[in-house]
Amino acid sequence: MSTTEARLGRLLFRGSLVAIGLLSVGIVLMVGRGLSPLDVPPALALDRLVGDLLTLHPAGYLWLGAIAVLSLPILRLLVAGVVFWRNGERNHAAVGVATLAVIAAGIALGLAGGR
Amino acid sequence: MLAGGFAAGVFGSLLGLGGGVLIVPLLTLGFNLPLRDAVGVSLACVVATSAIGAATFLERRIADLRLAMFLELFTAAGAIAGGLIAFALDEQLLAGLFALMLLYVATTMVRRALRPDPAEAAANETADTVPEPRNLPLGAGGAVFGGVISALLGIGGGVVMVPLIHLGMGVPLRVATATSTVMIAVTAAASAIVYLVRGAIDPYVLGPTAVGVFVGALVGSRNAQRIDLRVLRLLFIVVLAYTAVLMVNRAVAPT
Repeated sequence: MSTTEARLGRLLFRGSLVAIGLLSVGIVLMVGRGLSPLDVPPALALDRLVGDLLTLHPAGYLWLGAIAVLSLPILRLLVAGVVFWRNGERNHAAVGVATLAVIAAGIALGLAGGR
Repeated sequence: MLAGGFAAGVFGSLLGLGGGVLIVPLLTLGFNLPLRDAVGVSLACVVATSAIGAATFLERRIADLRLAMFLELFTAAGAIAGGLIAFALDEQLLAGLFALMLLYVATTMVRRALRPDPAEAAANETADTVPEPRNLPLGAGGAVFGGVISALLGIGGGVVMVPLIHLGMGVPLRVATATSTVMIAVTAAASAIVYLVRGAIDPYVLGPTAVGVFVGALVGSRNAQRIDLRVLRLLFIVVLAYTAVLMVNRAVAPT
């Protein structure tokens, strides 16, 4: 029987492997281009991401890996919330949604502040 | 950077520490990165490594998922506040706070080395066998504090959350540690996103560091039974104390 916990565990494990895989490809491409970790990277620009991936630019894979890493816990909250809702555990589902709302507020506040 | 991340991952997993305690000094003292950028990278690395630990604890039902999700609401709020505060604070003050945290961790490890807790090794509770956690308001308040500390210093927040869940909420240590590990990813991700959107995560630094820490944590956790942890713990206490001195030096050095 697959419990909620086991399902979430598998999601986290597989997601971590995908994220680390993307970062590893980025490292290999960095080495191939002779880039050092201390070089100045291009800023994150979502509209350039696909182009960077297609042209095998290391920044594309590294940014996608970073986004994948940071998305994992959010995905875990989403899946847990949906499963709790389906199981009738509305309070726990609501807590998950509230946490997602807090994270969304953090993104908005971070964007509003600049660097 | 890859090798340094690997070493941080191995040490961190063998000693039950999040990688952040080691990654921030590695990047600031070893590669001269600004402290805030090192904290941003460290938080992303913490998310990656804690996700694997969380996966194991969830599948074995050692972590209390419902308690973790309740507390995450508060650690996430604290982490976002901490992430925003970090950009308003002077880097030297952050370095001073980091040195204090290192000394606290070193002192805790000395205490544990001198007086090991026999119940810790013998514990076999799971989330299904423990009583309901008590004192939820204390847990919520402490979780906000844990989130702020995590975001300011680039650590998972286990140094705050494990004692809080164990001592403050009456959850057995094994379940408290597992529950804290499950929470770390959400806590660190909440603040790491603030660092990301403010441009304080460098992908060229994150790549090698995260992969190094991740592989190191896997190697460390698979070899934990074969290594004499007492010697390693004593060695590590010396490393932590020395790193704390370097951080104090950075905190008081003129800019």
